[in-house]
Amino acid sequence: MTETMTHYERIIAAYRLEEPDRVPVIPINSYFLPYHVGMTIRQAQREPDRLIQAHLDHQDLLGDAVHPFQSGHDHLGLFGRTGWDQTTLDWRIYEDFPPKGNLPNLYEKDIIEDYDDVFERGFSTLLFNLKLENQIWKRSVHDFLYFEFDYLKVWAAAWRRFVEESGISLLLGGRACHPLDLLQYYRGIFNLVSDLYEQPEKVKAMCEWLAEYEAVRAMGRAMTMGAGEVPGADTILFINGGPPGLSPAMFDEFYFPYAKKMIDMFVKRGFKVHNHWDTDLTPNLRTIARLADGLPKGKLLMDFEKTNMKKAKEILGDKMCIAGNVPVVMLIYGTVAEVEDYCKTLIHDCAEGGGYMLGGECDIPWDAKPENVRAMVEAARKFGQYKASGRESKGREARSGFSPNERRILEEIKAGLQPPTREELDRVTAKWLFGSNTETMMKYAPWSFVLTKLMWKKGEEPWAR
Amino acid sequence: MGKLSEAFVGLDKKTALQVVREELESGRDPLDLVDEARKGLERVGEKFDSGEYFLMELMRAAQIFQAAAEVLNPAIRQAYGEVTTKGRVLLGTVAGDIHDLGKNIVKILLECRGVEVIDLGVDVPAEKFVRSVQENHPQVVGLSALLTASVAEMNRTTEAIEKAGLRDQVRVIFGGGIVGEIGASRLKADFATTDVNQGIRQIEQWIGRVDPGAGMT
Repeated sequence: MTETMTHYERIIAAYRLEEPDRVPVIPINSYFLPYHVGMTIRQAQREPDRLIQAHLDHQDLLGDAVHPFQSGHDHLGLFGRTGWDQTTLDWRIYEDFPPKGNLPNLYEKDIIEDYDDVFERGFSTLLFNLKLENQIWKRSVHDFLYFEFDYLKVWAAAWRRFVEESGISLLLGGRACHPLDLLQYYRGIFNLVSDLYEQPEKVKAMCEWLAEYEAVRAMGRAMTMGAGEVPGADTILFINGGPPGLSPAMFDEFYFPYAKKMIDMFVKRGFKVHNHWDTDLTPNLRTIARLADGLPKGKLLMDFEKTNMKKAKEILGDKMCIAGNVPVVMLIYGTVAEVEDYCKTLIHDCAEGGGYMLGGECDIPWDAKPENVRAMVEAARKFGQYKASGRESKGREARSGFSPNERRILEEIKAGLQPPTREELDRVTAKWLFGSNTETMMKYAPWSFVLTKLMWKKGEEPWAR
Repeated sequence: MGKLSEAFVGLDKKTALQVVREELESGRDPLDLVDEARKGLERVGEKFDSGEYFLMELMRAAQIFQAAAEVLNPAIRQAYGEVTTKGRVLLGTVAGDIHDLGKNIVKILLECRGVEVIDLGVDVPAEKFVRSVQENHPQVVGLSALLTASVAEMNRTTEAIEKAGLRDQVRVIFGGGIVGEIGASRLKADFATTDVNQGIRQIEQWIGRVDPGAGMT
């Protein structure tokens, strides 16, 4: 088993649909590693140096790219960051893993009662919505200030150190969520079903409205994480969970246009997109293939949960890199032999010609068996060797920074990035907060939040509960 | 297939409600209409099974049924008085898990079929399930979850029902994103599935076929 590429070069080659030295492997570890090393959730959320050290000490469980855990607690800031936002995630700081504690859960509540009201007043009033468990108001001032202003920079520095020391790439820098996914959480699935049939134009208008907000903020976040300087930080994890059971026709009408709009925006501004697709999207693969239309190769990864991977390779293989599908349940309850067999079959079905990474269905469960996660990582080495590597690198010298080739790749990425400007970030955030009142509210910034009070309807005030 | 069934298959709420109103005005027995609506719903279920329809269509058909039921219920009460349900199912998402999507879909589909559902909500402790079984005597207990960690809690809840001496009185079904993939030997349920239609069929089989008017009022 010879490895002639660095972790990052291997990932880049797969994105570019080339054959690396071996199949890259990218288990998404958010909670698994902290649990495995005996950290509590609170420690994982509060002690970046300790968490980074745990990752450095257990590289045998990580693969070629690591999920920078801090994105798992974006919800701890009032204004959230990107992806699942502050209105859809639980705001608690959890103490520990089950059964003592819990992981952050997604809400699905009827938070938006009237689309027109949100267009008019924005989401600022919803931040105080009584349907939210907004425990943020019960926090200490220190916690509030830390999670609002400091934590992302602290964690970005910690993960930069990790990448420099380990050579393992980041899986993502920023995270965005498909607007229809967000709507499922804002409206609840049953209301959303009615909306799709009875007021489709409002759904589309809201998706249009949210798409830009999500995309611009994700790119801003990726810049903070070091896009163009830290391997992998230029990648946006684009969550396409998808309201369950959309028919292909509905997928084409309500899902594809906004996914395409956001992906185009990311790629045209120099970012890569790691698309995570939940559920089985085998019937939608031909539509998903069109997401690559008009875009250069090497920018898209499609990471599937239950989709038929053989079919995905057949339909998407010459357009975009694919990954995913190792069952998370198998990682908890299965045996090493079962994991090995599953990975071997996936590699057999998908790896030929490059453009493939071995990955799990979703986040590796916190209670997965370490030997199973290790077996998955090892399977890439054991079964994923390419006969002739397309390119060869001298590899990375131990702990001496990035290789010349990695630096060249990063320079190319940096030169191509068009990050959002401060004004652009302010504009989309203000629009999200204040809706059609944005212009007036921004005129009076920084008093806008005081003015928000004037927009509350009776009973919405935080003290009304 | 009658006009009402056709409207269900076409997911045409407007036509379905129009047919219900017109047929009631022309003196048709409301229970006939319930029967026809359920046939339409079953046809949608068959299309779901064959892959022609997806979960979204299944949920939409159930919503149309609920809307039709609102029109039909007063007519049924007037003609037959109160109609009792024949089956009772206790549903809830187990402790530590707040996901309720799957549970809610099962609930609405069971109600459309005339089954009474007692919904305990989300993050439900095992003791609350036990108490509710003692108080409400359901034939079936449905435990829902999404998180992998919740499987252990589903088993713990079933054990609690067993310890309370109630296990012989109820059938237990597990539903949720991951349970269908876990070997039956690891689950303490009588049945486990990720497929909503499969779950509904199993529950119906357990509680027996309900009368056409059951659950409508």
